[in-house]
Amino acid sequence: MKQKISGLYQKDGTKSVLAALISIIIGLAVGSLIILAVGVANPTLGLTGAWDGIRLVFVGILSTGRDAAGALTFGFNPTSVGNMLFRATPLILTGLSVAVAFKTGLFNIGAPGQYLMGTAATLIIALSIPSDVVPTWLIWWLAFLGGALAGALWGCIPGLVKAFLNINEVLACIMTNWIAANLVTWVFDGSNYRNLVENTKSGYIYKTSFNGVETAKLGLDKLFPNSQVNGGILVAIVIAILMYVLMTKTTLGYELKACGSNRHAARYAGIRDKRNIVLSMAIAGALSGAAAALYYLSGNTEFFWSTYQSLPATGFNGIPVALLAASNPIAVIFTGCFMSMLDIVGLQLTNLTAYNEYITDVIIATIVYLSAFTLVIKTFLSGRKKRKAQAARAQAVPEEAPKPDAAEGKGGDGV
Amino acid sequence: METENIIEMLHITKEFPGIIANDDITLQLRRGEIHALLGENGAGKSTLMSVLFGLYQPEAGEIRKNGQVVKIHNPNDATALGIGMVHQHFKLIDVFTVLDNIILGAETTKLGFLQKKEARKKVEALSERYGLKVDLDAKVEDITVGMQQRVEILKMLYRDNEILIFDEPTAVLTPQEIDELMDTMREFAKEGKSILFISHKLNEIMAVSDRVTVLRKGKYVGTVNTKDTDQQSLSNMMVGRPVQLKVDKTPAKPGDVVLDVKGLSVHARTRKKDAVHDVSFQVRKGEIVCIAGIDGNGQTELVYGLTGLEKCSGGAVTLCGKDISHASIHQRGENMSHIPEDRHKHGLVLDFTLEQNLVLQRYREPEFQHLGFIKKGAVRQYAERLIEQYDVRSGQGPVTIARSMSGGNQQKAIIAREVDRDKPLIVAVQPTRGLDVGAIEYIHSQLVAERDKGRAVLLVSLELDEVMSLSDRILVMYEGEIVGELDPATTTVQELGLYMAGAKRTTKAGEQA
Repeated sequence: MKQKISGLYQKDGTKSVLAALISIIIGLAVGSLIILAVGVANPTLGLTGAWDGIRLVFVGILSTGRDAAGALTFGFNPTSVGNMLFRATPLILTGLSVAVAFKTGLFNIGAPGQYLMGTAATLIIALSIPSDVVPTWLIWWLAFLGGALAGALWGCIPGLVKAFLNINEVLACIMTNWIAANLVTWVFDGSNYRNLVENTKSGYIYKTSFNGVETAKLGLDKLFPNSQVNGGILVAIVIAILMYVLMTKTTLGYELKACGSNRHAARYAGIRDKRNIVLSMAIAGALSGAAAALYYLSGNTEFFWSTYQSLPATGFNGIPVALLAASNPIAVIFTGCFMSMLDIVGLQLTNLTAYNEYITDVIIATIVYLSAFTLVIKTFLSGRKKRKAQAARAQAVPEEAPKPDAAEGKGGDGV
Repeated sequence: METENIIEMLHITKEFPGIIANDDITLQLRRGEIHALLGENGAGKSTLMSVLFGLYQPEAGEIRKNGQVVKIHNPNDATALGIGMVHQHFKLIDVFTVLDNIILGAETTKLGFLQKKEARKKVEALSERYGLKVDLDAKVEDITVGMQQRVEILKMLYRDNEILIFDEPTAVLTPQEIDELMDTMREFAKEGKSILFISHKLNEIMAVSDRVTVLRKGKYVGTVNTKDTDQQSLSNMMVGRPVQLKVDKTPAKPGDVVLDVKGLSVHARTRKKDAVHDVSFQVRKGEIVCIAGIDGNGQTELVYGLTGLEKCSGGAVTLCGKDISHASIHQRGENMSHIPEDRHKHGLVLDFTLEQNLVLQRYREPEFQHLGFIKKGAVRQYAERLIEQYDVRSGQGPVTIARSMSGGNQQKAIIAREVDRDKPLIVAVQPTRGLDVGAIEYIHSQLVAERDKGRAVLLVSLELDEVMSLSDRILVMYEGEIVGELDPATTTVQELGLYMAGAKRTTKAGEQA
């Protein structure tokens, strides 16, 4: 019995994985088609250029440049892999932010705003505490926790509005996104850190390394030389595992999911539904805030203070990361890495071919569309299985069917 | 003899994961008859009708119309064959008008423009002819359930269907509306339309049908002429064993007061008036007190006020000696279990598994969690015990998704969860609504057993039979007030009816008759 059940679970899981893989492959294929079309239309690229582009789309992460003859070479490229992990760090966390909210019946489209608030809090804390008095590791933790807390508080707003005024969280999230964008610009507009000078570069940028605060490399820089990777990726993975445990093993996760899938029943069972909606959004916000903290605490990432014109893409990209992962926190680790791998592929395309990096945006867009269809793909997959089973049954039936039929016929007549 | 059958479903088999919903079922519908399809919840009635209507494809068997084999792949095929269906849960678009709903999918158009005038004429003629009163321009969300059902019936007539399927049509109707529906059905049959009537209410089947086909656990039991049978033998066929239609119980031995309600008022959600006004009563250990009344007279709000789902606007509620007037739902739950009126809204988290639903009230207890971590093994064991003890049937046991279970088994799961909590007071609101006799018998005996164990039971019911047979004391609610306290042993159904209709009330202190 137990084996049967776990088998069923696995089947559903496998279907999700397959559906995600199908989305990814179709996305890459569409990207390849565009590369082909652009290549054929452009005499400087031609078919050989297109072939290079297509190869890079699929295995760009393993590209090691061009050899003396000008042909693309492939192999393990630790710098690319390291950079992929570095870029995956915030994506995993914003992906978790969206995924956790999804699991509790909420659509957190407010990740960009929470990410911005996290950014602001992290930078202010990391830059304003004097590092000659306080040890930098402590500043790092304060800045990290401050970023997460700021994100959590910002996430609370749509949560409160939803819980007490019954206003859809999507609306409130979109509004808080832009409020955050303007608020952050305004705060940094008046700050003293605006004209920090590094080498000869001065201007409106912020880096935590000005104050000596940087995420520890934890030896990862030796494993992936020349890359930006740091201990942040490990923090992200640990948080993903914690989220998985929270959602599947704890009473809190049970309550949050109950509220998400039937608020009335949760209330009936004495669960405080309002508190839990706010809590869900706070957790989601904290994750987005932590994403920003880990990204900017790496030290060498620059923040341009004027954010009111656009929202950070990392926040929105959490949505496809979560969708592709079917909201499973563990799967988010992998889909986050995949999305950042596409970034690297884009860079390789720019560096090594005449294509530009925006091709990967097309791929991401296709995958986003398809990831919304993962349910459809899943249904299709189970449909196929069923049809196969039916066919198998149809073959098996003629030999076995007559006996039970006859027996039952008699039973039926007797009544 | 052969051509007499307008529809024949021969040896239909339909399987779902873990369950054979229809196992070699044969059903023959004659022209111009009302044919009842009787069976417990989960017996496969709805599945069989969905096969006929093209919603499911059977794994084996064939369907014939007028002797010709037909394939029904979807509801459009069914409509083309003249088969129409009124579903248990109406398939109407709330924000459309009645007329729009009726013509939806069968619109008359000219050059792509709707020809609503012609449609309106046809619908008005049909509505007149059969006495199906509807307001064609009202939106569906604004009309009563009874009228919504008439809209569904008009939909079938508008499409000139000659085979009409009614899936548990009376479950949502008032007694008066039920009588009207039966007259309409008889009218249809007289005109040569053929009717399939799905129900598990024996008195209705006896009153309206010509023949009855009985299903049990997905299997065909038999077809009988209604005039050659009676309620008892039908229910025996349906359940497969002799059924106690009357509740078997000894006189109550009321003990200490468990629930004491004094002057309770609860605000109505929509109207400004109190939905419950100045209600006082007591429930003692070892008795079943029943709140009787016509639906919408404040029973729902009274229960909300007692259980904490809604705030009380006045008065005091004392449970086991503690004032709980302003306590949280969780605090009240310490001494009270609650079988809610709406099992989908309050009773279950439909997307959770059965085992997760069975611990919905208890997951916080140390037995099921340690430091905030759920003890999976303990939950599984507990669920398996409840499933076994209360005979909750489902496709995959503890890990079945609640949504996929039949209504009766969903209700059994709730009853199992609430009764097993072992609280001094059980509040049961319409615990047998929409259930078949077998399940009703079981639930009634459970409630009586709990009473005999010394628990106080507060039952809210709209069914007169249930009120009369199960309760030890009856309180009648009318327009938010308790208008009478009756003893079922000395009261007649007629007298109870007068109280429920507001025609009679006993004078209470400080109030005028």
